[in-house]
Amino acid sequence: MTQTQTEPKVWDVAVVGAGMAGMATALFAAEQGLSVLQIGNGGGLLFASGLLDLLAVHPIASRRLWGSPFDALAAIRRDQPDHPLARVDDATMRAAYESFTSALGAAGLAYAPLDDRNHLVLTSLGTAKPTYGVPRTMAAGVAAMAERVPCLLLDFRGLREFSARQIVATVGDTWPGLRSARIEFPGAEASSELYAAHLARALESHETRDKTIALVKPLLGDARAVGFPAVLGLGCSGVVHAAFQAALGVPVFEIPTMPTSVPGLRLMDALEHAVVARGVHRLLRGNVTSAAFDDTAVLSLGGVPGGETVSARAVVLATGRFTGRGLVAGQQRITEPVLGLPVQQPASRETWHSRDFLDPAGHEVNRAGLRTDSVFRPFDATGRPAWPGLFAVGSILAGQDWMREKCGAGIALGTARVAVDQIVRQLGAR
Amino acid sequence: MKYALFLGCKIPAALPAYEMSTRAVLGRLGVTLVDLPFNCCGNPVRSVDREAFVVAAARNLALAGRAGLDVLTPCKCCFGSLRHAQRFLDEDPALRQRVQAFLAREGLSLPTTVVVEHLLPVLARGVGLDAITAAVTAPRTGLRVAAHYGCHALRPSDVTRFDHPLAPTLFEDLVRATGATAVEWPRRLDCCGDPIHDANAPLADRLTQAKVDDARESGAEVLATACPYCHLRFTESQAGGARAPLATMLYPQLLGLAMGLAPRTLGLP
Amino acid sequence: MSATFLRMALLVSLGLCALGILWRVSTWFRVRIGPDARTIPLHRRLSAAVGGAFAALFSRRTPGILKAFVLDVLLQRRLFADSKVRWLGHLFILAGFLLLLVMHGLAKLVTLKVFPAYQATLDPFLFLRNLFGAVTVLGVMMVMGARRHRPASSPIVRRPGDRIFTALLALVLVSGFLLEAQKVASPRAFYRMTKEYLDTTDPEETLPLRTVWAAEYGVAFPDLQGTPDPDKLAEGRELHNDACASCHTRPTSAFVSYPISRAMAPVVETLDEADAERWLNYLHVFACFLGLILLPFTRFFHALADPVSLLANGAASTGPLSPAARATRRALATDACVGCSLCDDRCSVAPIARHLGNPALLPSHKLLATRDLALHPHSLDRVDAHARRVAEGAWLCTTCGRCTERCPVGLDLADMWDAGKGDLAHAGHPAPAQWVQERTALEWADSLGASPGALDVLRDAASPLSAHRETYSACVQCQTCTNVCPVVAHGGEEPGAIDLTPQKVMNLLRLGMVDLALGSRMVWNCATCYQCQEHCPEGIRVTDVMLELRGMAYRSLGQSRERRQPE
Repeated sequence: MTQTQTEPKVWDVAVVGAGMAGMATALFAAEQGLSVLQIGNGGGLLFASGLLDLLAVHPIASRRLWGSPFDALAAIRRDQPDHPLARVDDATMRAAYESFTSALGAAGLAYAPLDDRNHLVLTSLGTAKPTYGVPRTMAAGVAAMAERVPCLLLDFRGLREFSARQIVATVGDTWPGLRSARIEFPGAEASSELYAAHLARALESHETRDKTIALVKPLLGDARAVGFPAVLGLGCSGVVHAAFQAALGVPVFEIPTMPTSVPGLRLMDALEHAVVARGVHRLLRGNVTSAAFDDTAVLSLGGVPGGETVSARAVVLATGRFTGRGLVAGQQRITEPVLGLPVQQPASRETWHSRDFLDPAGHEVNRAGLRTDSVFRPFDATGRPAWPGLFAVGSILAGQDWMREKCGAGIALGTARVAVDQIVRQLGAR
Repeated sequence: MKYALFLGCKIPAALPAYEMSTRAVLGRLGVTLVDLPFNCCGNPVRSVDREAFVVAAARNLALAGRAGLDVLTPCKCCFGSLRHAQRFLDEDPALRQRVQAFLAREGLSLPTTVVVEHLLPVLARGVGLDAITAAVTAPRTGLRVAAHYGCHALRPSDVTRFDHPLAPTLFEDLVRATGATAVEWPRRLDCCGDPIHDANAPLADRLTQAKVDDARESGAEVLATACPYCHLRFTESQAGGARAPLATMLYPQLLGLAMGLAPRTLGLP
Repeated sequence: MSATFLRMALLVSLGLCALGILWRVSTWFRVRIGPDARTIPLHRRLSAAVGGAFAALFSRRTPGILKAFVLDVLLQRRLFADSKVRWLGHLFILAGFLLLLVMHGLAKLVTLKVFPAYQATLDPFLFLRNLFGAVTVLGVMMVMGARRHRPASSPIVRRPGDRIFTALLALVLVSGFLLEAQKVASPRAFYRMTKEYLDTTDPEETLPLRTVWAAEYGVAFPDLQGTPDPDKLAEGRELHNDACASCHTRPTSAFVSYPISRAMAPVVETLDEADAERWLNYLHVFACFLGLILLPFTRFFHALADPVSLLANGAASTGPLSPAARATRRALATDACVGCSLCDDRCSVAPIARHLGNPALLPSHKLLATRDLALHPHSLDRVDAHARRVAEGAWLCTTCGRCTERCPVGLDLADMWDAGKGDLAHAGHPAPAQWVQERTALEWADSLGASPGALDVLRDAASPLSAHRETYSACVQCQTCTNVCPVVAHGGEEPGAIDLTPQKVMNLLRLGMVDLALGSRMVWNCATCYQCQEHCPEGIRVTDVMLELRGMAYRSLGQSRERRQPE
């Protein structure tokens, strides 16, 4: 809900941020029966691919790929005890993913059953991306690629961001049975440029769906799987995907496209529905302008007409790194703008980036962030938790390079779960 | 509860049934409505002259302020328009001053406390879902209703503060309160097409058609609306079509029937 | 004044008035308002009117017509519902003027026939004439009073003849009272009577009678001021009763003219010498004649057009009118409009009209503009400020119908605006969303480039969002706005419906190329559904910017449109 609270109320948890980590925190906390206020818009999720990484690469210098994310977790606990993931145990991590994907499933975005393995997903660039949680609409592609079955990849004339021929050209050498074909999108014959989200919406109508299927059927040939760009429905992708699969009689899978993509829109939509369904109070356009911590935290909000303040027993900062503006890079220093917490960072600007842009070890600046205790309570300047009820989760945390380690969702979900568990303990003890 | 009723231009001219059913339902639920000499909400001139738009809206706010009343409007475009004007006045002190000077010429002044509300939130949160459920004596059990949200009430959410802009529940809650079933339909938050009907009728018709088809495909028997523009767009666009039109109903009509009010008093045949 | 001359003048005036009325009535069938009226020939409209009238007269609708006549025409119930002061004022004018006309103007034709003892100088007629005149004046004052204090931005509409006619009306009333006052006070008029009835004009011989008339009848004899001699008075009264009393009441019952005559007493001799009575008489009569001739060409023609219109309303069947009847009713409405401006006061966009300083938005002004365009179809051929203001009146109308609902003479104004909108579009002045399609975005940008300063409007306070870089500098071109745009999603089916996507519009702003966006189909086909603004991950107010761009385009492209037409 977005309307102003008229009565003064103390929330159990105020979540600042609505990216993957903020959403996970809100979901987990609401699931535990806590009253949750969540501030911030979920636009950052639009840049997500819909794939839920856990941890695939470690150490990044050697780019070692792990078949099991839990083996990788064990390695990181051993090698980098300060890494946020080192503080999340396997059971907590599994519980976080189960809870998160089941909430998404209930909101219409189903994921393939989770096992202990990383899966390789074919991307629109023709590369294979290792990941943990795979949306059900993409799952058949994992098996098809692994077994290199004869497969037809389709694209639509005018959808410039996705070329099936390009993918075949890139991976065809190692996947002989892979073919591509281009079809006209029904009803868009006059358009020179198509947009994935519009196709996704159009395919939710069975009329457009049937026409598309009729175009694909004659092209099937010996294909034992069919790949589409990720446009098979938006709000009800499960229904659209199932309809295609039933009509074509072979496994059908989506190939994630470049962000911002349909899977990103789906994820944002499903997460917003999921938090609302669990009773989370959403303030979409608000931002925290100042905060005071005493018995409770009092947050002053900007970006809402008239302004207002809210009180909470616990506050979870999930504002992200640079793109989410959880961290701001100034001329010399990196700062945390919401609460002014100290940021762990390279000693000087010169050491932010390695001289080699493609340095396999990554860049120091990408490990900057907040230092916390073992339950993700960020430190103040004295090196102690700033406030007992204040937590920081997700990519704002120091000591990780989630892009290179392929552990974005892993950090978001894992740290959120640890923080929520701690909040439950603290509030229960009160 | 007492509100100044802001009907806007469309309802009295083209959809008197909406006024009738709104008055009938709110009257029964104990909401008092007061008529003030309001003018146009300003929306039609917004594309041409921002300040003229704000002035028109502000005059209405001033009239309500003088009467010491909050505003209730059944029209989502008027609702969005009045709320937008409040935002512009809040974020632009110079504009506020000019508008104030304009109003002062007829002895009016900008109020600070007038709240503009749409009919649906007043029902769902002001009257309350429990009170509505209690007032339902003839539940519409089994009726499958697609609730159409309407853009100018829902978005931009920071201005309208109507409900969650991506995952709203308010209208479905109200539909369920009548005993009817709220169907899920993918295009429930989409535009009805009306705002571009004058500029590009074929394009507008395609938008409308897509919504109606989607509602029908999702199993709806009735398309429920709470805005005169959306409502008339759905009825006009379906008129003369090859298929039997999907029935459209204004929410207070649906609620009124469930409350046992005579169809005649709701503007229904 | 020679009676023959007067009769001639009267007949000529009546003839001209009749011709004027005929000409005006003919316009009801000739003037074509609205695109649908263009194809209907004169004879169809005539036969529809005549046929409709006959059908109504010999049908079950007769009671409706009677009701309309009594309630609407005579009792003016619609006006009563709206403004009691105006209703009373109007009733005063109507009653006062009609009674004056019948009792006084048509005395020989009417009053004498009904009251054979009628004498203009006898009560009650003397009193009544003053009463009717006073009531008329009072009515005029009430109506004018109710219309005063209008803001300069919503003035009363006027036709060219209105002021002249009002002046003539005032002249008739004033000259009438003055004439009567002069006759009361004038010694010359006294002697004219003694000459006729006593065959003497000798001041000494008539002294007793003069004493009575000076003391009791207000004649201003210069030698008989002060207290009258009682003997002479008694003597004169006897004579008076014999010769005068049967035709003369004391003029004190002329409660308007008598005080005037008292005021005129000191100069009455001078006026007599100047033959004032004759001139005032000429003035009075010829003002009446002139008014008669002018009547069909002023707003006061409504005295005839309104009853026709109201009776037609009463006679109309409940269903929609035929196109021919509708066309006729529109033309009739332009004559039936009194210009009372009650509609303007209730117009939903009146505050907008005030703020824009454009009275053309107001119904009474729009009605005249609609008529003018119908009468002179080429009068708006030039795209200029005047045409723009008239067009704004048409397309900023919200069709709320309050004017129709409130019109005291029951005009179907809503239908009129619909027709007028069509005529304006036909004349090249449609709504901006239409005329902007005359050129492509690129052509518009070219036309702006050719006229330096055209984009100055972009920097003014009316476009606060677009004028500031911060509004859109955060745009990362992620394409979300385009992805969620229903217009882009559905526009592709129609070539050219989408020339730019919202994302590209934002990019043009970032690059400082606003001119390329102003005339784009995207800006003008935007459904204002706010999906883009709601979804933008950077919080950019995309839709608000689109709406601002329209405002900018309306002004800058509009100016370019005005400049670029052939001289």
